[in-house]
Amino acid sequence: MDRRRTPTVAAVRAVTAVVAALAVAIAARPVLAHGGSLGGAARESLSVPTWLMLATGGAVVGASFLLATFATDRSALDWLVESGRRFALPAPAALRWAAGALGVVALVGIVVTGFVGPSDPLSNPAVVIVWAGWWAGFAMSTYLVGNAWPALNPWRAIAEVLPDVGREYRWTLGAWPSVAGLLVLVWIEVVSPLADEPRVLAVTVLGYSVVTLAGAVVYGTDTWFREADPVSRVFRYYGAVAPVGRAADGSFALRFPGAALTGDRLDGVDEVAFVVAVLWVTTFDGFVATPGWQWLARSLVDLGYPTAALYPGAMVVGFGAFFGVYLLASRLARRTAPTYIASETLARRFAPPLLAIAAGYHVAHFLGYFLSLTPALVAAVTAPLATVNPGLVVVPGWFGGVAIAGVLGGHLLAIIAAHVTAFDIFPGRLQAIRSQYPFIAVMICYTMASLWIVTRPDVPLPYLP
Amino acid sequence: MTEPPSSGSPGATGAADGPSPDSGRPDGIAYEVPPGATPTECEYCGRPFDSEGLLALHRGRAHASAITDEERTAYEEAYEAESGRLGRFRLKALAVLVLLYFGLLMVYAVV
Repeated sequence: MDRRRTPTVAAVRAVTAVVAALAVAIAARPVLAHGGSLGGAARESLSVPTWLMLATGGAVVGASFLLATFATDRSALDWLVESGRRFALPAPAALRWAAGALGVVALVGIVVTGFVGPSDPLSNPAVVIVWAGWWAGFAMSTYLVGNAWPALNPWRAIAEVLPDVGREYRWTLGAWPSVAGLLVLVWIEVVSPLADEPRVLAVTVLGYSVVTLAGAVVYGTDTWFREADPVSRVFRYYGAVAPVGRAADGSFALRFPGAALTGDRLDGVDEVAFVVAVLWVTTFDGFVATPGWQWLARSLVDLGYPTAALYPGAMVVGFGAFFGVYLLASRLARRTAPTYIASETLARRFAPPLLAIAAGYHVAHFLGYFLSLTPALVAAVTAPLATVNPGLVVVPGWFGGVAIAGVLGGHLLAIIAAHVTAFDIFPGRLQAIRSQYPFIAVMICYTMASLWIVTRPDVPLPYLP
Repeated sequence: MTEPPSSGSPGATGAADGPSPDSGRPDGIAYEVPPGATPTECEYCGRPFDSEGLLALHRGRAHASAITDEERTAYEEAYEAESGRLGRFRLKALAVLVLLYFGLLMVYAVV
C-alpha cells in the first residue's frame, strides 16, 4: 500500500477537480486510486493554467460567502441551529462495553499482526485496519455520523481498569500538549514508512499506547482523553461537524450537520490552536512533496541547517504561521465589524467552522481510498495471518463528483456556520457580515495555497533515510 | 417591509453549547476597549458598543422586555436604517457575483 502521504494530497486534488469541473465542464478526474499512482494523473486532466485555477478556487469560496450574506433573517438562522430531535440509544451501557471490547481486541490484533503478520502491507491486518479501517473509515464516521471514539477508544477502556494516580493536570497547559501531540504524530507519519512496514507501525502503536496509558494513569482517564490526547481531540472536534451529537443534558440529538460548530465550544486560544493545527497538518502533508520544499530544504541544508531538524522545523514554523495569520484575522475582524469584542473571543468563536473544511478535505481523500481498500479490509479481518492478494476496488469515474461534493460541502458548511455564529454574537446584521471579511480572506488564501500545492509536481521527500 | 423582530430573539447557540449571547448573562464574550476609545455603553448590561446605532440594535434584541418606549423607537429606527444599508450591500454583493461569474466565464473562453 503505497500511502506515502496520508491525509490529503488527493483531497486537495479534488479541489483542483472542483475548479476544473466548474470551469470547463470537462469530466473532472481527481486522483482517488491510491496504489502508487499518486503522481500526475489529476494534473493531466487539467488544461487550465495554474493562476486561473487558483483564481477560480478563491472565487468559489468568495462567491459562497457573498451568497450566504443574502441570508440575514435571524429567526431562520436560529432555526438552523436549534432544530433538532432527541433520541435514546437502546442499552447504552451494553453498547459502550461492546464497543470498548471491540476496540481492545482490534488494538491487540493490530500490535500482534503488525509484528508477526505478513510483511506485504496490503495483506497485513495492522496496516489495513489502521489506515483503511481506522484513519479512513472510522474517522469519516466521526464527522458524517457522530463521534463514537469515547466508546471505542481501546486505551480509554484499558485505562479505566488501571489505577489512577490522580495527579492534577496543570490547567494552564490546556490543549497545548494535544497540539504538540498532533504535530508529532503527523511528523512521524510523514517521515516514516508507517503504511508500508507493519513492524514500524506496530512499534509506533506500542509507543503511543505507552504514552497514552501512562498519561491516563497519572492524570486520570477523563482528564487525559479530554485535554492531552490528540487523537481523542481530533475525533471530538470532527464530531462537532456531525449530525448526531450530545445535547446539553447528555442525551443524543439529531441536528443539522455543522450546527454544533456555531456554539461556544472552545475554551481558549489553546483549543483554537488545535483546530488550526488540524488544518495545518493537512497542508504540511502535501507541502513536503512539492519541489518548492525540496528547494527550500536543500538551501537550508547548504546553509548548514541540520537535516534532522528539517521536518520538525517546517512543521513548527508552518503551524506558527497558520496560527499567526488566523489570530491576525480575528484582530482585524474587530476593525471591520466594528466591535469591542475581544479578539480572543472572536478567535474562539470563528475557529470551529474551520473543522468543516478539514472534514471536507478528509472525506474527499479518504472515501475513495476506503472503498478501494474494502476487499483488503475484509481479508484482514477474515484471514489475518494469510498473505492474500485482495486487489483493489476500482472506483468509477463519476465518483470524483463525491470528492468534489466533499470539499465544496465542507467550505459551504464552514461559511454558513461562521455566518450563523456572527449573527449570534453581533447585534447588527451588517456588522455580522463585515466581521467575516478577514476570515473569508484567510479561507480564500488557504484554498489557493492548497491548490498551489497540488499543481506542483509530486517529488520524493528530500533528506529522508 | 422589514419589520424588526418583535421580541428579543435569544440568539442562536448550538444545542449543547452554552448560554446565548446578548442576553446579559455571562456568556463567555470578553470585551476589550482600546485606550482612548469612547464606546457607548449599554445601561442594562454595560457592554461597550462602537456606535449609538449598534447599541440601539443590541438593546432591542437583548433587553426587549426591559427597554423604554423611547429606546424601542430607537431600536426600530436603527433596524430600519440598517435594513437600508443592508439593501445597498446586497446590490453590491450581487454585482460582485455577476462580475465574478461572467469575468471567469470570459477568461475561460479566452484561455
